[in-house]
This record gives sequence, C-alpha cells and structure tokens, in this order.
Amino acid sequence: MTSEQVLEVIRTRRVIRHLTDEPVERTQLEKILEAGRWAPAGGNHRFVRFVAIENPATLQLIRKISPGMSQRPPAIILLCIDWNQVALAETPADDPVIYIDVGTAMENMLLATHALGLGAGPVTSFSKEAMRVVLNLPQHLTPEVAICIGHAAPRGQSPMIPKQRVTWQSLTDWERFED
Amino acid sequence: MAESLVLTEDEALELLAFFVTSARILQREPAKYGSMRLLMAAERVGEFALERSSPDTQEFLAAMAEDLDQAMMYMADHERFVDDMDAMCRKIAQYLVGRDETGGEA
Repeated sequence: MTSEQVLEVIRTRRVIRHLTDEPVERTQLEKILEAGRWAPAGGNHRFVRFVAIENPATLQLIRKISPGMSQRPPAIILLCIDWNQVALAETPADDPVIYIDVGTAMENMLLATHALGLGAGPVTSFSKEAMRVVLNLPQHLTPEVAICIGHAAPRGQSPMIPKQRVTWQSLTDWERFED
Repeated sequence: MAESLVLTEDEALELLAFFVTSARILQREPAKYGSMRLLMAAERVGEFALERSSPDTQEFLAAMAEDLDQAMMYMADHERFVDDMDAMCRKIAQYLVGRDETGGEA
C-alpha cells in the first residue's frame, strides 16, 4: 500500500450511523481488533481492553440501553479502560493518557474498518452501569466507547453540528504564539 | 375512543429503558441533545405502534416517520429545525383534534 492510499483511507473515513443487516465476517472483526492492538499506547502500557460482540440477542440488549445508537449493528467492539492495568502502572487515575489511549485505539479501528470496506460509528451515549450489567463486566473495566460495525446503508447521514469548512490550516498555528 | 393496545410488553420495556438511560446520559451531554433523544423516542413509538394501529393512525404515523427523519437530518440548522418542529406540532394537533371530534375514529 502506498502512502497516498493510506492517506486516502484517512481522508475518506466517515462516521456511519446507518448500517444494513448484513453480518460482519469474523476474520474482518479480528483484523479490526488487531488494528486496535497496534495503536500507540502511553508508556506502552495496555490500559484499553476490547470486548467484541456478535451475538444478536446481546446486540439488541446493548442497543436498548444506548440511546445514542441509531445503528442496528451486526457487530460491536466495546473499548473499556482496565483500571487494574492503570494501577499496576502506577498511573494516576486522572492522567489524560488513559483516555488518549482509548482514542488512539478507536481511531485505528475506525480506519481499519473503512479500509476493509465496512462502516463504523462510535457511540458513547450509553448507560455505563447498564452496559456493565448486560455484559457482566468485571469491576475493573469501565466501558468508554462502543464502535458499531457493519455495512454502510445507502442513507443520508445526520450531522450533529452545522457543516463547516474545516481545513488543516484552520486548525493549525505555526510556532510560538504572538503576545 | 379507540382503546386497542398498540405496544407489546417488550416494546414498552425498550421505551422505558430508552427514556431512563437517556435521562442519565443527558446529564453529561449538551442540552440540545435532549430534543434529539425525544425525537428518537418518538420515532421508536411510531415504529412500534404502526402495525397495530387503526388505518388512519397508520397513515398518520407513516407520514410522521418521514417528518421525523427529515427533522433529524436538519437538526444542525436551528431555524429550519424549529420550523420543521412547529409544522410537526401542528400536524399532530390537527390529527388529535380530528380524532377527538370523531370519537377516535379519524
């Protein structure tokens, strides 16, 4: 793969809020999980755990406690913080690196999903307590973001905020800020 | 007045879960998400009730589903969203008034 192909995947990835019923192959899901594994992690610690869900009944239950999940995903990867690993690394619980690691893993997975020709949308609008019950999560894991994965449905996407022209230039300053 | 039941037990529980989890999550989300969650709940009520409703209400719910879809597409455009919602509120009121006048048959 050329650098231009990699950049094209980055440029063309979108949050997908409407998915078809078509199932996701296990091998594809494993590739996405592997992409998460290769995400940069602060101090090379492993603060993020992945929970992969394909069971239709469990997926339905998750959707019921996730008001932000407009998708009916055939697969979900839930990213959790492993607080045992945080404690083991003697990392303060309020260190932002913990959540940065969730973000890097998520982005790697979103890009891998897109590169595989699938669609994905991250969801944080779920009840963490209800998710804990539905998945019988151990106490040391907190669910942070659910990535809904499937095949994109041919339907318009609803922007959460007004569409605006964003460029890398509009997001960037060079060197030291002036007084 | 029509008294037929249009939700199953599972559907009622799903709505209950949606409302309660939404109430919790909205404590950490922007206030404007509240309108979106309520519209999503309305969408689910419409989907659930569609099959078991009277023919007139089915027609009303089908039209409402399209309106809801359209309104949510344009939530980011505040002026348009408010106009869309006002139009939907008028449609709902007209339908309710019609049903009231005909004893639930309209």
